[in-house]
Amino acid sequence: MGLDRRGFVKIVVGGVAGTLFTPVIWQSLDDVSIWSQNWPWIPRLNKGEVKAKAALSKLCPAGCAVKVKTVGGLPFAVVGNTANPMSKGGVCPVCAAGAQLMYSPARVKSPLKKVGEGKFEAIKWEDAEALLVEKLTALKGQNGKIAAINGDETGSAGEVISGLLAGLGNSGYYMMPGEKFVAEKGVKLMGGSGQPGFDIAGADLVLMIGADALDSWGTTVANQKAFAATRPTGAAATAKFVYAGPVLNHSAAVSDKFLPVPPQATAAFALGLANLLINAGAVSSASDFAEYKALAAKYTVEEVEKATGLKAESMKALVDLIKAAKSPVVIAGASFGQGAGALDFVAGASLNVLLGRVGSGMTLLPAAPKAVAGATSSDKDAASFLAEVATGKAAPGALIVYEANPAYALPQADDMAKTLGNIAFKVSFSTYMDETAALCDLILPAPHPYERFDDALNPYGVAKPTYLAGKPVVKKPVQDCKDPVDVLLGAASKLGLSLGFDTYADVIQAKAKALGADFDALAAGGIWTGEAKGGSLNLGASALAKVAVAKTDDKTLAVAPVSNQANGSATLATPPANLLTVRETELSGKDLIVQMNAATAKKAGVAEGNKVKLSAGKGELKARVHLNEGVAPGTVAVLLGFGRSAWDEFTKGKGDNVYKILTVSDEAGTGLKVWAGSTVTVAKV
Amino acid sequence: MAHGATKEFKVTWGMVIDLDKCTGCGACMTACQVENNIAPMVDASNKMRTLSWMLVFELSNKKSGAEAEVAYLPRPCMQCGNPACVPVCPVIATEKNEEGGIVSQVYPRCIGCRYCMAACPYHARYFNWEDPIFPKGMEKALSPSTSARPRGVVEKCNFCHTRFMQAKDKARQDGGNPEGLADGAYMPACAEICPTGAISFGDVKNKEHKVFDLAQGKDAFRLLEKLGLNPQVYYVSKREWVRKLGDNYAATGKPGAAKKHS
Ligand code: SF4
Ligand code: SF4
Repeated sequence: MGLDRRGFVKIVVGGVAGTLFTPVIWQSLDDVSIWSQNWPWIPRLNKGEVKAKAALSKLCPAGCAVKVKTVGGLPFAVVGNTANPMSKGGVCPVCAAGAQLMYSPARVKSPLKKVGEGKFEAIKWEDAEALLVEKLTALKGQNGKIAAINGDETGSAGEVISGLLAGLGNSGYYMMPGEKFVAEKGVKLMGGSGQPGFDIAGADLVLMIGADALDSWGTTVANQKAFAATRPTGAAATAKFVYAGPVLNHSAAVSDKFLPVPPQATAAFALGLANLLINAGAVSSASDFAEYKALAAKYTVEEVEKATGLKAESMKALVDLIKAAKSPVVIAGASFGQGAGALDFVAGASLNVLLGRVGSGMTLLPAAPKAVAGATSSDKDAASFLAEVATGKAAPGALIVYEANPAYALPQADDMAKTLGNIAFKVSFSTYMDETAALCDLILPAPHPYERFDDALNPYGVAKPTYLAGKPVVKKPVQDCKDPVDVLLGAASKLGLSLGFDTYADVIQAKAKALGADFDALAAGGIWTGEAKGGSLNLGASALAKVAVAKTDDKTLAVAPVSNQANGSATLATPPANLLTVRETELSGKDLIVQMNAATAKKAGVAEGNKVKLSAGKGELKARVHLNEGVAPGTVAVLLGFGRSAWDEFTKGKGDNVYKILTVSDEAGTGLKVWAGSTVTVAKV
Repeated sequence: MAHGATKEFKVTWGMVIDLDKCTGCGACMTACQVENNIAPMVDASNKMRTLSWMLVFELSNKKSGAEAEVAYLPRPCMQCGNPACVPVCPVIATEKNEEGGIVSQVYPRCIGCRYCMAACPYHARYFNWEDPIFPKGMEKALSPSTSARPRGVVEKCNFCHTRFMQAKDKARQDGGNPEGLADGAYMPACAEICPTGAISFGDVKNKEHKVFDLAQGKDAFRLLEKLGLNPQVYYVSKREWVRKLGDNYAATGKPGAAKKHS
């Protein structure tokens, strides 16, 4: 077309400017506009029968049980599965964008082999698999030489990966840091065992300490549904929600009360609350109650005010709410789902013990049966492992990365990426070209969730043992991918190992059987649930004696990374269909916007709109300042998920990555590496 | 100010959005974008250019510390009973005629003069500055319900109108009454996906639909009621500061007081 439609209309309209209000000309303009809208360059719609197929959408950390709508077999939208008791028809914002993500420009299109700095060559699957086997064969039997990092907490793939490593004589199996790992350590410190769960649906008061349970902690959609059930529109609410944490986030927005608590002071807040509850008559039959009581007594309202800035009245009002509740539950976690210490968990969980809510509000899940006989569990997280690699304490020759993005999503990210880059052979099983894949020597494209079999056992937070499984929605993946577990099982057999299965689908069927679940029912959108185990916990007093409130001075601020699920996660950059949800107070062009309250800004010598540099350790982050009175004192809130160096044009180079400025410290008495409550210096640039 | 006559319809599709339930998660915005084939924009932070038929605003009570509160307000097109946008359109590309009261937007007619955008006090209308460009292959994930719009035309929320047509078709096939759809038979994408059920949808004139009562509840209000546009979208909040912000032009000066039912 020589003249496009807009140009054409402009000419005609220009010509009639003087006669705007005669109806005749508008009639002819109307015809002109219809005539000119032939639009051959606008994409055509797909035709065919519309269907909705059940799927397990593991795009968000917990996984949503959804229905994928297809037209002529092609997915185009995601809706909730009302029949699934966990998601009850709800969908998180990331899974809502799931169909479009199948066509993300960031998808890895075929196996890739690194041929130079940032350069890759497409290779055939058989060559890629042969290369993998060759590298593993060379290191087989030498413990410490082969390691794996798994970013999928719930899938049975972890059993295959750890089983494979064990079969190759290696024990280096590491999980990406998450709440589950820390919480299980915490439970041990309280004399128990197993993964803890929280019954939000059965509570009449939910106190979230740090944990953003209504946006990005645990099984978000199930939590939101439980919350919604207590708030019938137009009628009285049947439960109270309180959020105590560093930022007035999505959970706090709908809570009855928000209590600003800086990230390094959550344990002090919980113990201060324990002190007030004990003073108000709370007692526990736990063996360490006397010790706990003495410890809590140190956290007077004055001490709590010093650590958190919260006034005595706020604490007392909360105590009244708790006393009035019949079935309160306390959920403690990091505001962004990782990096908190076990002590933060124990301090929060001890309130459940004190309130006599263990076994009801807070539960413990029994160990689940394994599908892969040789599977092991990881006793260290990927951050601790890479720290050892950095200092030479560990020296792997090959690293397998599964559904994880350690080069982006670990504290001091740039250092982590460098350490990772120094490992001789790295292979990433990834659907997208993420920061870690971009560093690897071999990239093996994994299918999108609607193209594969997968499962999810006990996503963190569930009160009862819970199992979901799904099968592919489409016949063929959009790209030339293979299921990572199928590839690993194939490699195992070439290495002379039998893990007992040929495909991931077989592993999942066996897992379902071991649990007593029906795979077909699960794949049709069902769910399997078991019963929580009994058992009691103590108050964790001896561990809590080590709690120290990190001090911030006038020059440093505590960092509160904020996770908004819509922005994606460590393993997923903001999906194209979610870009609109990023606010102008969060990202402006390529500038990330960090938030702090006016008093904090004044102390730091910055003002609204200022360009600033936040630094800690070797990391630096550039951003602009936005004042937000919903941020705790002495704290800077930084949105997670930006500053991508790989991915696609929609996300690459936009904003900055908060992980770069998180610093690791050792938690007293637990041996854990922690980074919630990291501090930074702020400078105007 | 537009004080024209409100057209009466037997069926009046409306929303009641519970602001005390909305977490601001954004799933409704994403579902809307997917349903209505809005192409992703490389710089979505340029809010002068983005197309967000459904937009979730953040409201603040402007207090600090433990007194601070925020609320999220999802804003679709209000499908005003007496729309400001319709009379200003020189080519009748937008109309309020159909049973149900949905304000239509006829893209092939729109000449892109943007008078309607200037007239709409809710900023619910968007102009296509560019042709929609989907990343290569992503056109395979286009929804069959809405054609993509070219540059030069204005667009806005239409309560997922295709779903209305489909619900009527289904009622016809099932021997039901297409003019008296059951509660829940027709649902826009945002209302369907919302994980907290903050968005209720139905015929606000039909006693059988739950929005009938919800829209008349004591905490219900509409945005800028004083302007007299008679929106078909209602909000609910127990928080007075939220109601005040929502109808800060209310004639009575009392938040949430004016509840003229259309
Ligand atoms: S989907 Fe629901 S909770 Fe989420 S922003 Fe929209 S209305 Fe609010
Ligand atoms: S909200 Fe705006 S666009 Fe929608 S009907 Fe009212 S005036 Fe028109």
